[in-house]
Amino acid sequence: MLATQEALNQFVEETGGWIASQLEACTRCGMCTEACHFYLTSGNPAYSPVWKMELLRRAYEGRFTVSGRLKLALGIEKPISQSDLEAWRTIDYEACTLCNRCSLVCPMGIDLGSLIHGVRGALAAAGEVPDDLEQATQKQIEDGSPLGVDLDAWRDRIDWIQDEWDIELPIDVQGADTMAVFTSIELMKFPSNFAYIAKIMEAAGESWTISSKGREVVNFGLFEGNTEHTVLFLKRIFDAAQELGVKRVMVTECGHAYEALRWTSFNLMQVPAGLEVTHIAGVLGEFVEQGRIQLKPGAMDDGTITFHDACKIQRKGGHIKEPRMILNILAPESFVEMTPNKEEGICCGGGGGVISIKEADQKRFDAFELKIDQMNQIGAQRVAMVCSNCRLQFADCVQHFGLDWKIYGLSQMVAESLAGDGDAGGVQPAKEG
Amino acid sequence: MTWDEVLRFARGPLFKVALIVFIGGMAYRLMRVLLLGWGRDRVPAMGSKAAGVVKSYLKGILIWPFIPWVKGTFRRNPLIYVAGGLFHLGLFVVIFLGTAHMLVWKSLLGFGWPTLALPIVDWLAAVAIVAMLALLVNRLVNPVLRMISGPAEWLNWGVVFLPMVTGYIMTHHLWFGYTTLFSMHMLAVDLLLIYIPLSRISHFMFYFFSRTIHGTEFGKRGVTP
Amino acid sequence: MGERETVYEGLKRQGVSRRGFFQLSSLLAAFLSLPKSDGTRQLGLGEFKPKPSLVRQVRKALESKPRVPVIWLEFQDCAGCTESISRSLSPTLSNLVLNTLDIEYQETLMAAAGFQAEGAKQAAMEKYAGQYLLVVEGSVTTKDGGVYCTIGGKANDALLREAAAGAAAIVAVGNCAAFGGIPAAAPAPTEGVGVDQIITDKPVINLPGCPGIPEVYTNTVVHYLVFGALPELDELKRPKAFYGVAIHDRCLRRPFYDAGKFANVFDDEGYRKGYCLYKLGCKGPTTYNACASMRWMNGLSFPIQSGHPCLGCSQPNFWDGGGFYQGQSAPLDRPDALVIGAAAGAGLALGAAAAAANRVQKKRARSESEESGG
Repeated sequence: MLATQEALNQFVEETGGWIASQLEACTRCGMCTEACHFYLTSGNPAYSPVWKMELLRRAYEGRFTVSGRLKLALGIEKPISQSDLEAWRTIDYEACTLCNRCSLVCPMGIDLGSLIHGVRGALAAAGEVPDDLEQATQKQIEDGSPLGVDLDAWRDRIDWIQDEWDIELPIDVQGADTMAVFTSIELMKFPSNFAYIAKIMEAAGESWTISSKGREVVNFGLFEGNTEHTVLFLKRIFDAAQELGVKRVMVTECGHAYEALRWTSFNLMQVPAGLEVTHIAGVLGEFVEQGRIQLKPGAMDDGTITFHDACKIQRKGGHIKEPRMILNILAPESFVEMTPNKEEGICCGGGGGVISIKEADQKRFDAFELKIDQMNQIGAQRVAMVCSNCRLQFADCVQHFGLDWKIYGLSQMVAESLAGDGDAGGVQPAKEG
Repeated sequence: MTWDEVLRFARGPLFKVALIVFIGGMAYRLMRVLLLGWGRDRVPAMGSKAAGVVKSYLKGILIWPFIPWVKGTFRRNPLIYVAGGLFHLGLFVVIFLGTAHMLVWKSLLGFGWPTLALPIVDWLAAVAIVAMLALLVNRLVNPVLRMISGPAEWLNWGVVFLPMVTGYIMTHHLWFGYTTLFSMHMLAVDLLLIYIPLSRISHFMFYFFSRTIHGTEFGKRGVTP
Repeated sequence: MGERETVYEGLKRQGVSRRGFFQLSSLLAAFLSLPKSDGTRQLGLGEFKPKPSLVRQVRKALESKPRVPVIWLEFQDCAGCTESISRSLSPTLSNLVLNTLDIEYQETLMAAAGFQAEGAKQAAMEKYAGQYLLVVEGSVTTKDGGVYCTIGGKANDALLREAAAGAAAIVAVGNCAAFGGIPAAAPAPTEGVGVDQIITDKPVINLPGCPGIPEVYTNTVVHYLVFGALPELDELKRPKAFYGVAIHDRCLRRPFYDAGKFANVFDDEGYRKGYCLYKLGCKGPTTYNACASMRWMNGLSFPIQSGHPCLGCSQPNFWDGGGFYQGQSAPLDRPDALVIGAAAGAGLALGAAAAAANRVQKKRARSESEESGG
């Protein structure tokens, strides 16, 4: 079947009342444009969110409405072509992080992020996915990780981490309460996260484990927009959870994985009954509130520090209060919010798979300039976040722009500021990567 | 044919037909979307969906007067917000709180309500007209809007602008005769009624879908600012 | 024209002095002090100082011109317009003005009846052929050969055509003669129509109202007498001098309209304060007549001033205009609940059908992509 036909079929298949009513609600007012960091930093009108979902609109109107069919028949509108698919491949994969800031600004409240994701689905069905992304997905299918870390490599790396930080990680512990699922980004780029989180769990007295089967919570099927792959990767986690008989799955510092596991999985597949899905941000908040861990007040109070809201953990994840509660304890004098912040926060520019696509590099560097502006505005050079993809983007851009910033993970800050430690922070951070 | 006859036609049989087309058309658009298939949402909620919906509607209605609050969300081009808001405000005041229009509603619904004095309504109508013109210019000049606007968008503007401007001129007895202008206003209104279900002007009906969805999605995640 | 008495001679015969005649001329000239083109000057007794040249013109006309013969026909009427013109409370003016007319035939007022009356009419029509003024009151019915209104065995449209043939000018007084009036109102069993629907080859001047203001009738005739021509007419053939301005634009309660002060119900507080009657159904904005300026009873009052909303009685179709107490802005016709329900039902059904067709498409797309290993 022709790629365009595949795409069209996917559009038709996935469009129900939920999508249709929102497409009908769009008035072409263009306000979404002003919220998109890719548009704001490039001035390219093709990057406006409403344009990114244009293919979906054309498919919907052309197949499901009388006027749309008429326009196609009369030649006023053109059917979706191969070159359309290629053009939208660029703007939807390279110039969109699915951050969904646009949906906040839309006067009609349309969920543009989901609609653009729908376009990605059709592009994926047509095989129009950027090569880098496709290759990474293949690696995840075959090796279990987009970075190609297969089971053996994983075991080696885990051994190294345990050795380097002198900790023992609970692996495949049957009947533990919480199963922590990490990303291979953390594994390879921020391995100290394992140590930090292990320390916190121990301090909180949590019964927890990591899983060899559920070793990768990153979900490149979600980035692709391919439901089959998404479910495949989700299943690995849920199967592991079921096999180990855990009560809840805790996503560590990753954004889209939380979206996949917590907010999407239940509508795509059968999730083991009674299994809770949560995020480290929520768990940290829980531990602090319940007094299971004690933080040293003011431990991070040396220089203005701010918090970067991750799109999938704050705006689309709801864990807005917890990081702030923690920062207000750790840096009451120095914590300053960026503007805008919380659910209106600006995307780092690296999410949604963008950071894995080489062709998108310049776009995400441009987008990052907004973050630089934000930091400069409050005079901050220290920033905390709870998503390791954001952290990767920040680290990469700090290097690219030659900035003098310090970037902290939330788990890192908590682990290094636990009260009851002899010295300030009992974990020596090794060199990243 | 005299303007008087045109007026009686536009207020009489043509209006009747226009209203029938409007109601039938909107019912069609509603059903077409309602029965397209809605999956059940099996995702366990973290926050309250209902609270999300309430906040979503409040935000939708109140967002406009509180521009400083939303300023953080958009950086440039507040024109669409301001002009769009002023246009809608003027529109609602004129259509629902203008005495002449209230009497139309009364004849259709069987009951009326108190209205505002003419100078206030008139001033807001003028503001709405200026806002419409600003929006037109913006759509012609802004590269994004130029890209996403097709013949439908220009038609939408025209079909909405005509009743506004004929109504304003009519009220002020500016040009032509009152009967002539009243006829033009009624013809424009009849055109608008027939055109709404065929166009995106029907967005006021779908507003309730998208805003409710927005509210449940954010409320579900516990994001209710 | 030598053998016919002039207006002045007629007035002198009735005992009006030369000085009184001068006064009359001035008064009439005041009424006629109208710019020829737009008829927007306010009419009020003694409000304007007419130009001396105009007074002279009027005087000369009355001195030299003979009285105008008038044939006054009544068809489907209530005789209200006759009552109006003869109920005028300005005896000096109206009676004298009426003395400029030589009414040869008027069913309500004349003493004669039957064959005598009809004979008088035929005689007058022959004697003054081409000179008489034909005034028509009441609407004309042509349904079923015009049997619903006959005089002396003759159908009303035939009588009208016969009289119109020899008329110098045709004046339709009252809403019925102008636009059909009551007999044209739903359900209109006789399908009454205005004069200009029957007489299409000669100019007809409409002086609508239900009834019309007496001074409007009399002064239109005076205009014809003085200038020998009909005054400037609007698109509905009404003299712009009297019908050029809407009631709304001369109404004494207009400031209340602008300020949003309305009476909501008869006899409520607002009503007693004399607030605007717009919400009670006043048709002022779309009604053109001289009621708000010249007013009735020699300028005493007019409906709104006395507390009743304007009915719009000088406009076509005012009986069927939605009702006297329905807002002026309201539509004249609307679908009833059943029709609306049917429209909504049809829309819902068609929409459901469209949605069903779309769902079939979705199913087909799914099976297609499953087949191709999607």
